[in-house]
Amino acid sequence: MHQNVDLVIDGSKISGRRGETVLDAALRYGICIPHLCHMPTLTDIGACRLCIVDHIKNGRSKVTTSCTLLVQEGMVIDANSERVRGLRRNIAELLVTQAPNSRAIQDIALRCGVTEPRYEFRSDDCVLCGRCVRACKEHYQAHAIGFVGRGQERHVEYPFREKPESCIMCRACVTLCPMSITPCDGPMKSGEGYFCGKCASLTQAPQYEAGDCTRCDLGEGFDCSGHL
Amino acid sequence: MANSLDTILEGRRSQPHQLIEVLQDVQHDHGYLSREAIDTVSESLGVPVMEVYRVANFYTAFTLEPRGKHVITLCKGTACHVRGANPLIEQALGLLDVGEGETTENGLFTLETVNCIGTCALAPVVVLNGVYHPLMTPARLRALINRVRREEEEGTGHA
Repeated sequence: MHQNVDLVIDGSKISGRRGETVLDAALRYGICIPHLCHMPTLTDIGACRLCIVDHIKNGRSKVTTSCTLLVQEGMVIDANSERVRGLRRNIAELLVTQAPNSRAIQDIALRCGVTEPRYEFRSDDCVLCGRCVRACKEHYQAHAIGFVGRGQERHVEYPFREKPESCIMCRACVTLCPMSITPCDGPMKSGEGYFCGKCASLTQAPQYEAGDCTRCDLGEGFDCSGHL
Repeated sequence: MANSLDTILEGRRSQPHQLIEVLQDVQHDHGYLSREAIDTVSESLGVPVMEVYRVANFYTAFTLEPRGKHVITLCKGTACHVRGANPLIEQALGLLDVGEGETTENGLFTLETVNCIGTCALAPVVVLNGVYHPLMTPARLRALINRVRREEEEGTGHA
């Protein structure tokens, strides 16, 4: 039996289950909060920062990731305010310039209202979302890949740069990687990253607002339906 | 060596939370974390190799490569930076002909930089084999390195 708590997201009163995150509760009610690193069956680590919301408490507001924020009684959450959307657009801009070679990331950036990224394209092909690392660790208990290095040098790597025996080549890491979904015009060459934005017309439905989820195929596995 | 690893792991087996303490002891006794040591620690504590490797890689206190006989640590914290750590680093790099974090070909020196060693009043600080040398200047650093080299040549250097 779930213990329920009442909270308000974007003015809608919803009933959350104690122990679940704000993001999970919102998705269950069809309130779309853009997200990338979140996966229903994995521990949330708040890596991509896309799911930021405004948590209003005692008249003060605090922007935090909804995937790591547990529901509480009487919570007031703003997931789509001007401020949150602005911050989220900036995060999406950073993500798309870091790794433009992915339709999933291009789509998310477009939906978050990016029009012309102000940052230099790095084309690193990894946004350190950690989906691969966590799937390997939590789904398969293989611990074959992990984050190595710190700061700018942080990257995903095998221990000692060699494929360990625990890797059974299940390729879950590849399947779950946002980079596995190539842009519509084919993979980008290294150093030639660009912001696509071609499907802007598709997402500009009459009531379309940046941050809304129109639930097209936002890269298989990256949609807002809350299912895998 | 294998014996010492056994001693370190004594009473700590199957206790994953002891990971960092064990790695610190291994680093202290062996001078670096060898692949074999990491494999043994991983097996004994019940922590996946990836996790041990990740932790060993994250903290600058751990090194995965064997280090030289003498370890020179240059502080480049704010205070040291302001009071002239950069000329010191350049001096040391030039004198030893190595990059940051590298060991000289003859295995005598390892040059490391750290972000702060917490003795800002003594800035700029250079640590040689655990001994702090405060208020360093490029000239004094040169003298220090030359002294160690001379001692090594004469065979009077202490390990």
